[in-house]
Amino acid sequence: MKNIKYTLLLIVCMGLGFGLNQTAEAQVTEGVFPAAGSPANPEVHASWNKYYDYQGITELTAALAEAHPNLIKRESIGKSYEGRDIWLMTVTNFNEGNADRKPAMYIDGNIHSNEIQGTEVSLYTAWYLAEMYGDNDFITQLLDEKTFYIVPTINPDGRENFFKAPNTASSPRSGVKPIDNDLDGEVNEDGYDDLNGDGSITMMRRKNPRGQFVEHPEYPELMQRVGSDQFGEYELLGYEGLDNDGDGRINEDGEGYYDPNRDWGWKWQPDYIQGGAHKYPFSLPENRAVKDFVMKHPNIAAAQSYHNSGGMILRGPGAAEDVGTYNRQDVQVYNALGEMGERLMPGYNYLIVYQDLYSVFGGELDWFYGIRGAFTFTNELWTSFEMFNETDRSRTGSYEFNKHLLFNDALVEWEPYNHPQYGEIEIGGTKKTFGRAHPGFLLEQMAHRNMAFTVYHAYHTPNLVIDEISEKDLGGGLKEVTAVITNTRMIPTHASHDLRNNISPPNYVSIDGARVEAGMIVNNRDLNQTTEQKRNPSKLEVDNVPGMGSVTVRWIISRGNNYTITVDSQKGGVVSKSN
Amino acid sequence: MKNKILRSVLMVLIWTFGSLTMLSAQGSYSNFNDLTDRLNQLNSNYGDLVSLESLDETADGREIWVLTIGSGDIENHPAVAVVGGAKGSHIFGSELALTFAEKLLARSNTDEVSELLETTTFYVFPRLNPDATEHYFADLKYERDVNTISTNEDRDDAFDEDPFEDLNGDNLITMMRVEDETGKWKMLEEDNRLMTQADITKGEQGNYHVFTEGMDNDKDGAFNEDGEGGVNINKNFTFDYPYFEPGAGENMASQIETRAILDFLFEEASNVFSVVTFGPANNLSSPLRFNRGAVSQRVITGWYEEDVAVNSLVSEAYNEITNLDYAPANSGQQGDLFQWAYFHYGRFSFSTPGWAVPEVMDEEGNSQKFESTDAKFLVWAEQQGMDAFVDWQEVNHPDFPNKTVEVGGIKPYVSFNPPYSAVDSLAESHTDFLIKLAGMKPNVQLVNFETEEAGRNLTRISVDVHNSGILPTAARLGERTNWVKEVILKLELSGNLELVSGDVLETIESIEGDGSLTQTWLVRGNGSFTISAGAPNTGISTIEQTIR
Repeated sequence: MKNIKYTLLLIVCMGLGFGLNQTAEAQVTEGVFPAAGSPANPEVHASWNKYYDYQGITELTAALAEAHPNLIKRESIGKSYEGRDIWLMTVTNFNEGNADRKPAMYIDGNIHSNEIQGTEVSLYTAWYLAEMYGDNDFITQLLDEKTFYIVPTINPDGRENFFKAPNTASSPRSGVKPIDNDLDGEVNEDGYDDLNGDGSITMMRRKNPRGQFVEHPEYPELMQRVGSDQFGEYELLGYEGLDNDGDGRINEDGEGYYDPNRDWGWKWQPDYIQGGAHKYPFSLPENRAVKDFVMKHPNIAAAQSYHNSGGMILRGPGAAEDVGTYNRQDVQVYNALGEMGERLMPGYNYLIVYQDLYSVFGGELDWFYGIRGAFTFTNELWTSFEMFNETDRSRTGSYEFNKHLLFNDALVEWEPYNHPQYGEIEIGGTKKTFGRAHPGFLLEQMAHRNMAFTVYHAYHTPNLVIDEISEKDLGGGLKEVTAVITNTRMIPTHASHDLRNNISPPNYVSIDGARVEAGMIVNNRDLNQTTEQKRNPSKLEVDNVPGMGSVTVRWIISRGNNYTITVDSQKGGVVSKSN
Repeated sequence: MKNKILRSVLMVLIWTFGSLTMLSAQGSYSNFNDLTDRLNQLNSNYGDLVSLESLDETADGREIWVLTIGSGDIENHPAVAVVGGAKGSHIFGSELALTFAEKLLARSNTDEVSELLETTTFYVFPRLNPDATEHYFADLKYERDVNTISTNEDRDDAFDEDPFEDLNGDNLITMMRVEDETGKWKMLEEDNRLMTQADITKGEQGNYHVFTEGMDNDKDGAFNEDGEGGVNINKNFTFDYPYFEPGAGENMASQIETRAILDFLFEEASNVFSVVTFGPANNLSSPLRFNRGAVSQRVITGWYEEDVAVNSLVSEAYNEITNLDYAPANSGQQGDLFQWAYFHYGRFSFSTPGWAVPEVMDEEGNSQKFESTDAKFLVWAEQQGMDAFVDWQEVNHPDFPNKTVEVGGIKPYVSFNPPYSAVDSLAESHTDFLIKLAGMKPNVQLVNFETEEAGRNLTRISVDVHNSGILPTAARLGERTNWVKEVILKLELSGNLELVSGDVLETIESIEGDGSLTQTWLVRGNGSFTISAGAPNTGISTIEQTIR
């Protein structure tokens, strides 16, 4: 009876939209056939063909944590400039081990305000891992072994601004702290103006028989430059806007400007060397919150940040001046991961920032590797390859795609407007929803492929096993105990950059339950080459357990038949085995 | 009524008593409470000229004080930031900054200073790392530059696990020497109390190990490598930050103290044209030298030629006033405030320790030459009657059971903090210097203003924007960073005046000392207009006129 009442209440609540799953679609529990590799009947219904705003992120992350209390915990790691919570989800099997001692993968998105879909990849990853846990052996084992720290947006203010203020597909890149960009003593006094009130900032053109542009015959929103010996029909006047402050310039001081991805404290440089840098590293509250969290979670062995666009899997160094930080052993690991990324994400290229993109200081990926020794990638989501699954370098490709696959939803047709400075003009062009963000029907596929890449990356954070414990009687009451510790994954417990700077403490291999007379690292077991550790021999310090490699240690003990060997590694986790 | 009078009398009495105790307390360096009392005293004595603000609180709950001195539109008057105590053990630097403020304000009844304060602002940060500096007053003394944030300085698995120990029971941490033929140290010939590293290329051999006084608590082979704390604020700034070094912190600008001054200077003090640090760096006794290679790369590491010229000029004034030209040059250290103020804040940055061991004269009155600065210091100290050395004394050391171990050496603090009796005259001359520097400030004036009829109903307005100061409106480096404001030249029209030609607003990167530029506008109609020129760090000059 009580149960029925409760159910009724629930139905009423859901009908009123009070439930956590307050999406319009009804939860179908029957009548579906599972598609391979996707949760057929998830606890939390989320759809992946649209973008979540701050409220949506807040609700979805709360719903995930509520529906999967043993797999997802949500916390706020700090407040944004405008006071929004920065949500972080810890995703792991909380019933198995200590979440903060498992090898961990950090993931975030949306550091640039307009680069929105990293949030959806991050949300999808948390959702997918939790919903597949228990149904899929690989994912189950992954969450038993590893921890994911996922921040869907590390720039919630900028995200809201991109969605709710008139913008182009590229604005704002900056966060929202007002800055005097034209040095006239005023802040944000002359940004874009949504003259036609459609929520997007498009282009302005003016009829001019001496102009340089004509319409493309098939796609009129595409303006083409005429030959240098010809006159066209139009001149282009830039993005929609007015001279708001009467200084003779249009749109010269809008939202921002600083670049949150020039704010990270590895080889950071100031604004005159690195455009976009702000006062000092982590002077912006959002990045500071991430930094503080990461510094308290030294188990983070790998990291991923999602940007757009261009179809890139980027690794450091960001700056040519920082080449020496990345050395060969680490680059081999990066290469193995990056090349798998190219396979999993058709159309994406594995590139090095300073060499293939531009030479830049203060990026997030450099900080994660430089300060924490964590193997880190930045993916630039969306590439024109995704339109027709072919490399597209034409100017018309996106217009053709828009016409036949989006049914013109990405464009604003030219409409006349009477501009106070330019007179009679026309406004039209591409909406902010297209060009960098994924169209809805491609969003889920992209999210899944990128998640699969980070899953591969996370899977290859160190996994330590004690392969062997063997004993040899030396006579005279002494025994020799030899143990072999193997890292069964590609990422070492210590990147070579980590080793060089003692970023993480060494791995400690200790023996408990024996009286230790001496302890040593075995450099070559066959030839009996060893290095003795004089100080505290029952707790051996092992600098590194290399990826797909083993380390052998040895103790001489005088007492103890039942003992336990424990490996305690900051980035490799804690494992124990008894003889 | 009666009550009120009574209270006032009482207040005066308390005040008098307070200031008397304050004065009498100034026989020695001020601890944090005394420093705070002295600041509060200035705040109550010179309320119309100063404001005292706490930027934040340290881990131990001490305020990071800034005292703003000036009158009128202080945010738009060119300013000098004066900073002491970024290096925590340099308590003299802190004392100098504070005493400067006291001396400047004591002179505020003179015409010179009262006029200066009507056009110039001083921001005084008397003690930037108070938790470290307070250690000067601890029972067990050692030169401490780090705050009390617990750090893992040797990057092992333990925090603060290997501090100093006072082995000879004198409450001072000095040095420890261990006789051992594998040691690399030997006694210095010049003064055999001092130890020096043997130079095998000169055929010298060592017979001692030398460590700081203490034990190897964690038995890792290193002595006192991870004591209490902390981060040295003077290693935590963003220029040439020393990653992973002990005392630098885990990240640049990671400390409350660092961020407090950075945020204040960036956000609230755009009027600063010069930062003067009382600390170890010294480009005042000898100016920096120009190095073309250092400014020809993307990440520049040297001063621009024009800025070096300013450094020379200011250094000359400094030596003339203070006679401290013998103090050793020091171009700064990684992550310090001095270099940050030039390279990342874009201001003219000057630094001096404020004192150095003076020349030592022999009996004939000639300056004595020394190979070792410590040897020189000890001779000087002896002449002053100072007891600056702890004589070597044998101790039993558990880490060296069969060795001869002795503890001794120069006492902490004394070699770079002068006896308190020297403070007053040094503060006097440094006050003179800071007043002189302030007088060299960039100063934008509108001069040669004219209007002329330029035809029917048309008026041409012309004016010269003149920097009447000695220093340029921006350092050459300041021209490059947006954190140094440009000079804004603005014309505002009212009535039915209309602009025919010319810009309503122009930004000017820099005007050199005594430099100027001419601007003209053509306007039509009649009404009034305002021309303004300047920036917070140059002062702002305004002209208003009406065309009828």
